[in-house]
Amino acid sequence: MTDAIVERPIVPTEHRPDRAAHEVGHKVAPLLLTEQSHFCPGCGEPIAARTILENLVELGVAGQSVAVLGIGCYTAMASSFDIDTVQALHGRAPSVATGVKRMKPDSIVFTLQGDGDMVNEGLQEVLHTAARGESVTAILLNNGVFGETGGHMTATSVLGQRTKNTIDGRDAEYHGYPIRIADLIAQLDGVAYVARGSVHSPGAIAKTKKMVHKALQMQVERKGFSFVEILTMCPTGWFIPTIEGPQYMDDTLGQVHTMGELEVRG
Amino acid sequence: MEREIGLTGIGGQGIQLAAQSLARGAAHEGRNVSLFGVYSGSMRGGRTDSSVVVADGPIDAPPLVSHLWSVIAMHDAFWLPTVEGRGVQAKLRTGSVVLRNSSTFDTDLDRDRFRVFDVAATEIALGLGNEMMGSMVMVGAFAGITGLLEVDSAIEGMRQSVPSHRKQHIERNEAAIRAGFDAVADRVLAAPAWSDDNEEVRA
Amino acid sequence: MTRRLMEGSEAIVEAAIAAGCRFFTGYPMTPFTEVLEHFSKRLPEVGGVCINAESELEAIGMTWGAAATGARAATGSVGQGLSLMQESIAEMALARVPIVVFNMSRGQSDYFQATRGGGHGDYRTIVLAPMDVSEAVELTQLAFHLADRWRNPVLVYGDFLIAHTSEAIDVQPIDFGPLPDKDWGIDGSTSGTGRSRMITSIGIGKAHSPTSGIIGHFEGIAPHLAAMQAAEARVETGFVDDADHIVVAFGTAGKFVRYVVGKMRADGVRVGYVRPITLWPFPEDAVARASEGKRAVMVFENSAGQLIDDVKISVLGRAPVIPIGGISTDASGFGVGDMYDAEVIRGRIEAVLAGQEVTS
Ligand SMILES: Cc1ncc(C[n+]2csc(CCOP(=O)(O)OP(=O)(O)O)c2C)c(N)n1
Ligand code: SF4
Ligand SMILES: [Mg+2]
Repeated sequence: MTDAIVERPIVPTEHRPDRAAHEVGHKVAPLLLTEQSHFCPGCGEPIAARTILENLVELGVAGQSVAVLGIGCYTAMASSFDIDTVQALHGRAPSVATGVKRMKPDSIVFTLQGDGDMVNEGLQEVLHTAARGESVTAILLNNGVFGETGGHMTATSVLGQRTKNTIDGRDAEYHGYPIRIADLIAQLDGVAYVARGSVHSPGAIAKTKKMVHKALQMQVERKGFSFVEILTMCPTGWFIPTIEGPQYMDDTLGQVHTMGELEVRG
Repeated sequence: MEREIGLTGIGGQGIQLAAQSLARGAAHEGRNVSLFGVYSGSMRGGRTDSSVVVADGPIDAPPLVSHLWSVIAMHDAFWLPTVEGRGVQAKLRTGSVVLRNSSTFDTDLDRDRFRVFDVAATEIALGLGNEMMGSMVMVGAFAGITGLLEVDSAIEGMRQSVPSHRKQHIERNEAAIRAGFDAVADRVLAAPAWSDDNEEVRA
Repeated sequence: MTRRLMEGSEAIVEAAIAAGCRFFTGYPMTPFTEVLEHFSKRLPEVGGVCINAESELEAIGMTWGAAATGARAATGSVGQGLSLMQESIAEMALARVPIVVFNMSRGQSDYFQATRGGGHGDYRTIVLAPMDVSEAVELTQLAFHLADRWRNPVLVYGDFLIAHTSEAIDVQPIDFGPLPDKDWGIDGSTSGTGRSRMITSIGIGKAHSPTSGIIGHFEGIAPHLAAMQAAEARVETGFVDDADHIVVAFGTAGKFVRYVVGKMRADGVRVGYVRPITLWPFPEDAVARASEGKRAVMVFENSAGQLIDDVKISVLGRAPVIPIGGISTDASGFGVGDMYDAEVIRGRIEAVLAGQEVTS
């Protein structure tokens, strides 16, 4: 973007701001081929992706990184990432990542999967890959719904959550309980690092970015499987106003899938 | 006999409700109907087309119709060819009946080829206090000009089509349909749908 | 009369419920998702169960279990999800478990998958291909009947247009005649009685009830397939007898073709059509008879050419077989492309009549 001079409307207000505003620069994430995207306003997935891209650059491994993408809204990132990419089938990214890493041990391989992709369709894939201690990093974008298909229940949807096919809310007796996937993975012996972050506030984003950093660092040091679950807003699939996304996340998903580091070995 | 009716406009003009009102209204009169909201390949915004086929017997026409006996033209954004498709006009034949919303449809029409009826639908709707109801005005005008269905059936069709959380709009919609019907009082059955001498619409 | 304007996805669900389907499960994928949504709302209302399966692999497994109890059970997906289900579908065919599977496919490129299957062993699934919503209501009900009649999986091949077109319909249960008792159904009630039951794909019965055994089981497969093949081929033909040219098409493509052929007939062009309603058993005899003495048999399908193989096998050189379809989709990939246009199809048929090659 060039520095075109844009006329801003003057917003009348009776209150003086209590401090001077920071100048917010137009900061583009690294490793992007285009800024165009089709994500809904308020979507958390691009923010989560940004934490990965920035870390790859900061760790100096961008030039050896390989992305393996699952199928969900984030699949659209395949064309905008300036990263070698394998597009996997729904749920199957961990096995594909395994194959890449075994043949190219010097590469830094990460998967990008949604809760539908990883915890529904491909649950055994991620468990087996973790148990094998594959030296790959799996990143889960958990919004508690199939965003892409229009807001349907996934294995991580929390009790009471209204989705397109749990219209009266997820009911334990009928639909079962949500899976806390990070907790499950943390029990496996092959894992080096497991953490759960979120992107619903600036503070959470900063913490999540550090988690992703550690996860990738584990891979660089060949310490085993690393995993970061990132809670992301999906106002569209939650059927709520865009602006309420972060709060809703904090009140619902965030209460069940709690943030923090679950396993740090290595 | 089979009649293919197209509806074209832009998001927010109430095209889908109008199409459903016509379809349910015609079904209410015992006719067979098929309705397809043209899919623009994107969930968000843009083109909203719809086509309704109404028939005395079983419906032969596929849901994506290539010829329109009549079209309710709310907006001209997709009238001529665009990158998204060949445009609605390409589906008309000589003698096709065009109800043109003269308030928002600017493109010139070949009035020798098509039977064009101007209805200031958005203006009439504004007069009733809500410009969003222009498509309801058109439904009333369509019933008047073509007699494809009775205006009361169109109103019944609308009633059945309004989702439950919008029930409070039924009365206003009904007023708009009646206003459209009244606006064409001088053109009642000017292009009758079900009389056989109306067969100038041929390939 | 309780006619109501319904989208195809909803009409299919109402038809399944009218046919007594009380179990459904699936994993979202457009345009199958729409069917799943209606089931998840409707089945609990009629005392049935609809489960949001964690994956297609699980969906087909759950359906297997539900059907093994003798309940009318169904699942479905789109081509990709059905690829995942192939192992189970093949095994259920061998174990003679009657289920119904919906493929709300994206176009017609799953013809081979539907008619040949990607599973193991000697098995076949009956495949019903409705051309529109009204026919889908009938064939959905027939699917449950045929599944029970033959104790065999039955597939319904729909698509985006069928899922999303609305028609005014009154879904009423159709009586297809009597069926044998489901005396094989498993519900635990025979356990401990010395007469317990077993459903298996390899023919080993319980020790107390010598079944046909492994050898007998496998020897019984071919006659079972032959019996279905002889009894269940369904087809619609139009203007065939005095036609010079024939067009073969199924499903939505068939709906277009019969419309176009009707219009061409009205203009005096001697063309006819054959529309297979069952893709397996393929109506070979009808296609063979229709091709007799014709100048050419055209095949209109929304794929790179799959149905055409069955047409060639049936025509057996009686007439040249010419493809006039192709892969046609919109940017979303749901199989609703520009080729689904009566004008375009007419143009392609006329090009063949004029002796030109058709480029798609
Ligand atoms: C085998 C298979 N089944 C179903 C689908 C349809 N499908 C596409 S994306 C998706 C869900 C994606 O959910 P998630 O991974 O949570 O991603 P989100 O859209 O929420 O980001 C599904 C079910 C598919 N592509 N392949
Ligand atoms: S549907 Fe949800 S996950 Fe998908 S782009 Fe929109 S907000 Fe993001
Ligand atoms: Mg998700």
